[in-house]
Amino acid sequence: MAQLEITNVSKSYGAVNVLKNINLEISSGEFVVFVGPSGCGKSTLLRMISGLEDIGTGQIRLNGQVVNAVDPARRGVAMVFQSYALYPHMTAFENMAFSLMIAKEKKARIKEKVERAANILRLEHLLQRRPGELSGGQKQRVAIGRAIVREPKVFLFDEPLSNLDTELRVQMRAELIQLHDKLKTTMIYVTHDQVEAMTLADKMVVMHGGVIQQCGRPLDLYDDPANKFVAGFIGSPRMNFMDADVARVESDHITLAVTGALKQFDLPFRGFDSSLRKVQVGIRTEYVGLSEDADSAVSLPATVAFVEELGDVTYMHTDLPNGERLVVRSNGGRYRGGKECVAQLDTTGILLFDEAGERIRSAS
Amino acid sequence: MTAEAITAYSNPARAVALPFSGWALLKWITAACIAIVAVFPIWWMVNVVFAEPGTPVSLNPRLYPTSFSAGISKILMIMQETDYMKAYYVSVAYSLLTIAGVLIIGSMAAFEFALFEFPGKRILFATVMLSLMVPTAVTIIPTYLLTASLGWLNTMQGLVVPGLASAFGLFMLIQFMKTIPRDMIEAARLDGASHFQLYRYIALPLSKNALVTLAILTFMKTWGNFMWPLIVAPSPELYTVGQVVGLFNSPYSHQTVDIVMTANLLAALPPLLFFLIFQRKIVEGIAMSGSKG
Ligand SMILES: Nc1ncnc2c1ncn2[C@@H]1O[C@H](COP(=O)(O)OP(=O)(O)OP(=O)(O)O)[C@@H](O)[C@H]1O
Ligand SMILES: [Mg+2]
Repeated sequence: MAQLEITNVSKSYGAVNVLKNINLEISSGEFVVFVGPSGCGKSTLLRMISGLEDIGTGQIRLNGQVVNAVDPARRGVAMVFQSYALYPHMTAFENMAFSLMIAKEKKARIKEKVERAANILRLEHLLQRRPGELSGGQKQRVAIGRAIVREPKVFLFDEPLSNLDTELRVQMRAELIQLHDKLKTTMIYVTHDQVEAMTLADKMVVMHGGVIQQCGRPLDLYDDPANKFVAGFIGSPRMNFMDADVARVESDHITLAVTGALKQFDLPFRGFDSSLRKVQVGIRTEYVGLSEDADSAVSLPATVAFVEELGDVTYMHTDLPNGERLVVRSNGGRYRGGKECVAQLDTTGILLFDEAGERIRSAS
Repeated sequence: MTAEAITAYSNPARAVALPFSGWALLKWITAACIAIVAVFPIWWMVNVVFAEPGTPVSLNPRLYPTSFSAGISKILMIMQETDYMKAYYVSVAYSLLTIAGVLIIGSMAAFEFALFEFPGKRILFATVMLSLMVPTAVTIIPTYLLTASLGWLNTMQGLVVPGLASAFGLFMLIQFMKTIPRDMIEAARLDGASHFQLYRYIALPLSKNALVTLAILTFMKTWGNFMWPLIVAPSPELYTVGQVVGLFNSPYSHQTVDIVMTANLLAALPPLLFFLIFQRKIVEGIAMSGSKG
């Protein structure tokens, strides 16, 4: 059963539509990540769930109860902010105890709850320090602890790791996964970092321009994106896109001519709409190499623009004759200079999109 | 001087590290001169009080106190034979009540202005700011008339209440509270804090520095306020220290100069002590209200 249901939610600030008709169901215990470029409305959606922002139109239901008019403090949600938002004049202990103190819990209960949370987060030795005396990672843990002691039904995180350095971010990410395993509480996490989203999410919600583009398991989104935006947003380096003309449409395959390619090629496809003359071809870098042995390969002459050598893989950013960028991945081999190359596309990795960017799927 | 010290001094790298380079010395001397000029009147006051009458201005003047007991007896005389103690009490009550009121009213108003939106906020704020630009000389008569028609002449509330709405204090506190991050207020709301609890547990403690500064500035202003007590509370019952000192200084007073000096010294003592205790805060506060106001 869905624990959190968002139905037909829209939000606008004046004339600007920030969220457009959002529908989403989240089950109990899920780790859901909202991901999307800056300004796409992730924080706004999260803040509407928390109650800090009014819900424009539509409904949000928590455990079956409409919470549109419920006070933020009574919704059973706890939020962790990007800026940590710790109270600087209180110790870590007092920060974590604040909500309990407001709720007039007994001293002994407060101590017990805070210490339990501190134990989970390995903060015991820091409880008497003020936020100013804590490192970024420690502050973040106190902020999470402050959420934990409230025993919320849903945790909300708004880019909690983006103020940390890369190494600490990776470590905190692992800790969050462990925390989720331990608490088994629903968590909603906002980030614009797709790697963070892929590693954390049970369910990933890709947003763009105030619209949910697609949601599902991270690898499902990776393998089977619903549109060009999702395809391009997930995966690093970005998926390559090229224009192609549809030369012939048969019942079980189509023939495509990619601009600049040495020859046309066939792609298995059923039920292609023969009125389409132009499509966009998307292909991830792992299907673009330099070796010529794959017999399904399409050759594409290109000029090397620059090279990223990461040791295990080398990414060659090349320019196609029509000016488009194509990233070629080479495993193991090292770059030995040279400007001209011939990229080989493995056609099994090709995804098709129409000119509006929607995915064209083969009928099964 | 040992040979070692000489070489140390002639070594330029070491010479820089010495506390007194020529430039620093010059600066210290200048500072000392200014300090002497500033401190001398106060020192002279102390000198006159703690001396047998006439000694400091005799043909052979003394620049240091010569008779402790003479000073004490003058102080005792003022305390016992005049209403000075009562004036002290009035001034202290006047100052403390004003400080308490200014802090409570100012911080509550600043909390709303700085952190929340409400209808009419801009107009209200503009009105408050406008009152900053109107000099006291313009407002003092209407304020007096209002106080009079409330029947508050010669009362403590007549003295205190008109001074409670401090536009300057409000402005300073607003600037300060604006720096409280919105996230923090929202976090506290999610933690269940009510509107008043946000004020009590978040805004107020975080504004401690600004409040202390405002308290000090308010003290300085009320303790030294002469005009308002003079017109609103002319009855001797409510004489403040300032007014009493004024009586000592008046042309027909029969007090000798050393008694007048004693009265002055007693009046200057509280702000002086206050300043010594809160010196750092005051400097910070002036810097703060200067850079932000
Ligand atoms: N109070 C507001 N008034 C007007 N517009 C707003 C307000 N808050 C947010 N917006 C607009 O709403 C859009 C979505 O903002 P939101 O903060 O949800 O983005 P986001 O996806 O969280 O981006 P980021 O990754 O940068 O945090 C933005 O275009 C922003 O300019
Ligand atoms: Mg955001």
